[in-house]
Amino acid sequence: MEAAFKVLPLAFPKGKEQFCEICQREANLQCTKCRVTFYCDSEHQQADWVGIHERICQMLVPIRTPSLKQSRRKEKQLMKVKAELIEICRNTAQSKLSQGKHFEALPAAQFCLRCCIDVHGPNTIQLVPAYLLLAETNMGLGNLALVADLLSQAEWAILKSPECDRSLRQRLHRSLGRLHTATGNLEAALFHFANDIYYASEEFGVDSTVVCYGYFLMADAFIKQGKMAIVHSLYTEVAFTWHRHLTKLLETHLQSIRNPAMLDSSFDYSQPSEVDEMFRVILEFEQKSSRRGSSLIAHVAHCLSMLWFVRGDPLKVFGFGTTALKASQLTPEHDLAEPIQGLLQLVQDPQAHPRSGPS
Amino acid sequence: MNAAEARGPQEVVLPKIKTDSGNQRSPQYRFRSSSKQFVCVELLQDGNHKTFSELFSLLCLDKDQRNSLHPDTSTLRAPLLEEQLEKMETIKLHLSRAEQAERTGSWTAVCEQRLLLGLHFSAPEDVWLALYFFHSCADRKHGGGSRAATEARACLADIYLRRGDLEQARQQGELCLRQAEDGGWLDSSGVSLKLRACLVLGKTYGWLADAQLAASDCDKALKLLHKGHSMSKECDNKLIEAEVVFRFGLTHQSSGDQETAKQFFNTCIEIYNSLQNRDEIVKVLKAMAKSFEKEGNIEETVQCLEKSADICRSSGLPSKLADICLCLGNIYYKTSQYVKAYKCFLQGYEVACEAGDVALLQKAQVMVGCSCALPLIRTYSSDMESASSATVKRLVAWKESRGHQDLITDPAE
Repeated sequence: MEAAFKVLPLAFPKGKEQFCEICQREANLQCTKCRVTFYCDSEHQQADWVGIHERICQMLVPIRTPSLKQSRRKEKQLMKVKAELIEICRNTAQSKLSQGKHFEALPAAQFCLRCCIDVHGPNTIQLVPAYLLLAETNMGLGNLALVADLLSQAEWAILKSPECDRSLRQRLHRSLGRLHTATGNLEAALFHFANDIYYASEEFGVDSTVVCYGYFLMADAFIKQGKMAIVHSLYTEVAFTWHRHLTKLLETHLQSIRNPAMLDSSFDYSQPSEVDEMFRVILEFEQKSSRRGSSLIAHVAHCLSMLWFVRGDPLKVFGFGTTALKASQLTPEHDLAEPIQGLLQLVQDPQAHPRSGPS
Repeated sequence: MNAAEARGPQEVVLPKIKTDSGNQRSPQYRFRSSSKQFVCVELLQDGNHKTFSELFSLLCLDKDQRNSLHPDTSTLRAPLLEEQLEKMETIKLHLSRAEQAERTGSWTAVCEQRLLLGLHFSAPEDVWLALYFFHSCADRKHGGGSRAATEARACLADIYLRRGDLEQARQQGELCLRQAEDGGWLDSSGVSLKLRACLVLGKTYGWLADAQLAASDCDKALKLLHKGHSMSKECDNKLIEAEVVFRFGLTHQSSGDQETAKQFFNTCIEIYNSLQNRDEIVKVLKAMAKSFEKEGNIEETVQCLEKSADICRSSGLPSKLADICLCLGNIYYKTSQYVKAYKCFLQGYEVACEAGDVALLQKAQVMVGCSCALPLIRTYSSDMESASSATVKRLVAWKESRGHQDLITDPAE
């Protein structure tokens, strides 16, 4: 647990007020470890400590301690520390976001942006990733007005630099699409998701999982418009594409179990909660809908089953596998039954089962 | 986008999100993005994601094809598909209709739209698109047996036949025929699809038989020709029938059955007579003469060739006439009637000059020379074979006395 001093105004140069790290209001507390970070109350200090401060506390000391001698070497060193800080904050925020901990991600995302502005200056293209990260965090917390502000800053920066790369544009459009979906401006949301998918197709290929997630988000807007036929079509596309990817992944995974030297880490685990959530939503939608597309249900359940196999949770593999098997028997062509049964057998066979999946 | 642009960078006013709704399809956006992006985004906004991914893949394919070509040739070719907004718009229109039909499960409408696209891309540089859309129409799991899919197969068979891909043409033609027989459909311009299938198959079988004949596999050739004949009867097309009958004749000729071959040639001449096609009659008569020649019936051979020469003269076919003259000359030449041969070759040479056919002209020149030279040598040919001193003396005497005079007096000049 972190400790705090009370801020004594007389301990600082005259006229230099200290502000809270989290809310920028007048500060009353000071971190005892680095002595360069201030808070308005213990609640904010606690939030910052859990969010990011614990990791970067000591790194802040050289940056925030004013020095009389401004040598070039020292400046270079400081820049290096700042770049390192940005990297740490970004990674921390991202990993907390992918675990769904939006509130804990906030301090890291905020500090990341602040540090970026410090290094690159205001309104530069380098700020865009930081803006997007902070916007995403605030989206999770429901601060839509703030999100809108952050995204227009990002948009302006991108508009000013036409040579900016496609993946950045893609991420901006995705965030804008989500914002507009949340505010109920569905036409605008569809426009941004369309651009998101277009850029993602250019960058990652038309059958990539990035494009798939774009389709999934787009389907949400179509649900709100009541266009269920389109939603079904989009979900089918998502499920079938993921099914292909996961089938391939499972194959290489099984090979690497037999031959551990081949262990590959090509699969992106960075957003597991997002993927789970996506499959869960699709499954629910399809089970509730009147048409009950058993082929789609079978594919999604099989996807989940394969995903949990790779992650190493036999119980979930078994649960989703049985759902998939049941659904696949309702489809006219039972082409899925065989791979599903193969998977279920693998779970019962302790030799083939991975010793430990990634946590 | 618009909100941020209007405000400028420094203000920190919240953008009014609601006000720019519906503005997204503005011309402003159209100019700011490439036409490819414009078309793709519109497709996605309407939820036609399958059309999007199909179009996107087609555009990529087009680019890859272009990049794999030699850089010099690519500059001469038509612009990339992604630079041709009109074509992309057409694909977008019909494929979106197809996708909407697919969502409601009306498979025939899907095929109709794809067929329309295939028919639209009829220009030679768009053949790859036509092939793609016809295939995507004909090879569908749902609706593959519909009228549109059958017409697509007929079009595919036509394209493959034109490209000389006979096996593919045959496969598509046979499938088309089977489907058309069940359906009894007409194509978009009102022609019976069955008729179209028979027509293309008749031609294809004929060409395939040619290939077998070239590989001297007469049995396979005959089998193909029988199929071709029934096709030509089916579509009641005399021209194709005559071609098939002619090929029958050729096949029998090469298998050594001259009697049957001549019968076929006669039938063929009858058909061409009814069609008033003199051009082809000359061709058949020439083939018939060959059969007579193989039998050793020189008289009939000459008669045949004379007849075809007459037809050529009366209907003004100089290059054919030259060819026939050379054939006739060859017959005389082979039977050692050098004077007659010389006359024929000379005539052939003159006609070829008139027709301006250089290849034939050169051939005729050589043959005229040969037919002049051979009779000269012939007087002494027995002397050359025997090796007595008397004959050698005679030959030397001839060589001395002949001088250069004989060589220069070329009868052709």
